[in-house]
Amino acid sequence: MLQRHKGLLPWLLLGPGLAWLVLFFLVPLYYMGRVSLFEGSDLEGFEFTWHFQTYLDAFDAYQTQFGRSLLYAGAATAIAFAIGYPLAYVIALRGGRWRNTLLLLVILPFFTTYLVRTLAWETILDDRSVVVDTLKALGLVADDGRVLATTGAVIAGLTYNFLPFMILPLYAAIERIDRAMLEAAYDLYASRRQVFLRVTLPLSMPGVVAGVLLTFIPAAGDFVNAELLGSPQQTMIGNVIQSRYLEVTDYPTAAALSFMLMGLILVMIAIWARIAGTESLMGAEAK
Amino acid sequence: MNQRDIERWIETEISRRRLLRQAGAGVTALSFASFLAACGDDDGGIEGGGGDQSADIPVIEKGEISDQLNFSNWPLYIDKDSPTTLDKFEREYGTKVKYTEEVNDNVEFFGKVRQIYDRGDSGGRDLHVVTDWMASKMKQLGYVQRLDKSELPNVEANLIASLKSPGFDPEREFAIPWQSGFAAIIYRKDLVGGALKSVNDIFDAKFEGKVTMLTEMRDTVGLVMLGDGANPAEDSTEPALEAIEKIEQAQKSGQIRRFTGNDYTRDLLKGDAVMSFGWSGDAIALQADNPNIDVFLPPEGFMLWSDNMQIPVGAPNAYTAQKFMDFVYQPEIAAGIAAYVNYITPVEGTQEALAKTDPELAESPLIFPSPEDLERSYIFRELSAEEDRELSDAFQRATGA
Repeated sequence: MLQRHKGLLPWLLLGPGLAWLVLFFLVPLYYMGRVSLFEGSDLEGFEFTWHFQTYLDAFDAYQTQFGRSLLYAGAATAIAFAIGYPLAYVIALRGGRWRNTLLLLVILPFFTTYLVRTLAWETILDDRSVVVDTLKALGLVADDGRVLATTGAVIAGLTYNFLPFMILPLYAAIERIDRAMLEAAYDLYASRRQVFLRVTLPLSMPGVVAGVLLTFIPAAGDFVNAELLGSPQQTMIGNVIQSRYLEVTDYPTAAALSFMLMGLILVMIAIWARIAGTESLMGAEAK
Repeated sequence: MNQRDIERWIETEISRRRLLRQAGAGVTALSFASFLAACGDDDGGIEGGGGDQSADIPVIEKGEISDQLNFSNWPLYIDKDSPTTLDKFEREYGTKVKYTEEVNDNVEFFGKVRQIYDRGDSGGRDLHVVTDWMASKMKQLGYVQRLDKSELPNVEANLIASLKSPGFDPEREFAIPWQSGFAAIIYRKDLVGGALKSVNDIFDAKFEGKVTMLTEMRDTVGLVMLGDGANPAEDSTEPALEAIEKIEQAQKSGQIRRFTGNDYTRDLLKGDAVMSFGWSGDAIALQADNPNIDVFLPPEGFMLWSDNMQIPVGAPNAYTAQKFMDFVYQPEIAAGIAAYVNYITPVEGTQEALAKTDPELAESPLIFPSPEDLERSYIFRELSAEEDRELSDAFQRATGA
């Protein structure tokens, strides 16, 4: 009896998660894969024909947007890391009694929806806004220039929207570091720089990996920022998928593009995990 | 049995067969379909089909007026001042109209309803409103019901002549116009500096990054074609593709700031855009916010479109929906709607009716265009499925997505 329970219990615990994964991930994934191999149109009807050509055509036609998505997401991730790490570091190690308040401030923007926040930026940055006038007066924007509908605005929007995804895992990782490790390093005459590079940073790597993934993946697939803060010259692959699916009702191409985006991200994650996960590499950098 | 009964019998047999076929397919698909519907990715819905399926669609049967009607329309597309058109309908027939502003974009709405319409279910909708070409698509896919013309005497009497026989529905059996409008240029007088002369002013390098065009392909491509001296009502796809090429060049050079739906109004009000391809009905509302906004009807011509009421197959209150279609074709009712939405009304006699309540608006050339203006307006010609795909595809790429 006890034996049987032991065998069943892990499955019972796994059950809900597994069912969720199968229903809402594997089944749609299978169907999307099937749709990507369809041929036809919605008026003439679609047919499943193993039409792999769609992938080649789609990649050919939308290389620019793929490149742009990876570039923008990469830039947003790098900026979010540059802003997020010091912030997470200070909150975790020097936050003191303000720690919870500061964390709350980081999460606070989440209380309004993502779309509304991005729309707010559209208004803040419009051509005749105070912000843009000030930037012009300071010489940061050319007199006939603009901020909205530029690459900068899209990357800034992505950074702003996904920043908390970077900060929270970094905070969790840095906060978990055993202070005794830092003290030991100082006892062994390490400089502050050495302590950071050889102890704090390597120990916070799990947070860095998680933060980068959580920022990069949604940013690469995003279409809202490019739609609202960009011009047609900033369209990302998410916009293409959206327009193929809903505007042209070209489901096979939309599905094929989604698959390629997923594949591309998986490959990049694999590479990143190899680099970031190898401690010797970090150690070598620290020297 | 007389002729009428035989027809009725055939119709019910056909519809029952349709129903059984769908039910049969439904049972096997049910367990999976419900999951997939939840994922929003039911490929069973998009596979198969093809050809014009409207031939099998029976005429709406006469019946009882129901006490509810579900009407799906675009935002801000009906009068809101009490007593509204919907109040008046309720007063006359005792039917409560549940009015939903759920159509923001033709293709988006199509994407939303395609799966359920394909199963012969309307999702509770009795009436929806979509633009000509989408109305044509809905008809060809067999998604909308055939109207009983004998139940539509007001439509018969008052539908304006120019809209009586469109290419996609020559007998007006599947779609009745709700409102029409022009697609033309809407601009900021204060920011353009001088009068506009041509459609092609939108390509003037002076306005780089300060113009927007519509995501609605037929409107944008049609206007650019007119600027090129082509005729969007008749020409082959060749000049349309040339126009798309021209749009693509302008987009790549940074001339066009955005491609928009209704939201170009925001760009104009903020001054981020100085001129936009836009819709005539918006202009009157925009002028109220900013008197510097004006409509420019280009001398080369401009586009005329209509939005149509249709009754989806499976509508629970089809007979009442048909009654409603006829109800809004009374000039006094149409005047109430026109006074609020400011689009071109398809109902003859509305101008006279509106003159009694709002004489100033009754003079507006945007609601009641002159015969000369109507002569310069073009309806984008009917495209075959193949042509539609070719042009939509090229146009989407030109817009950068």
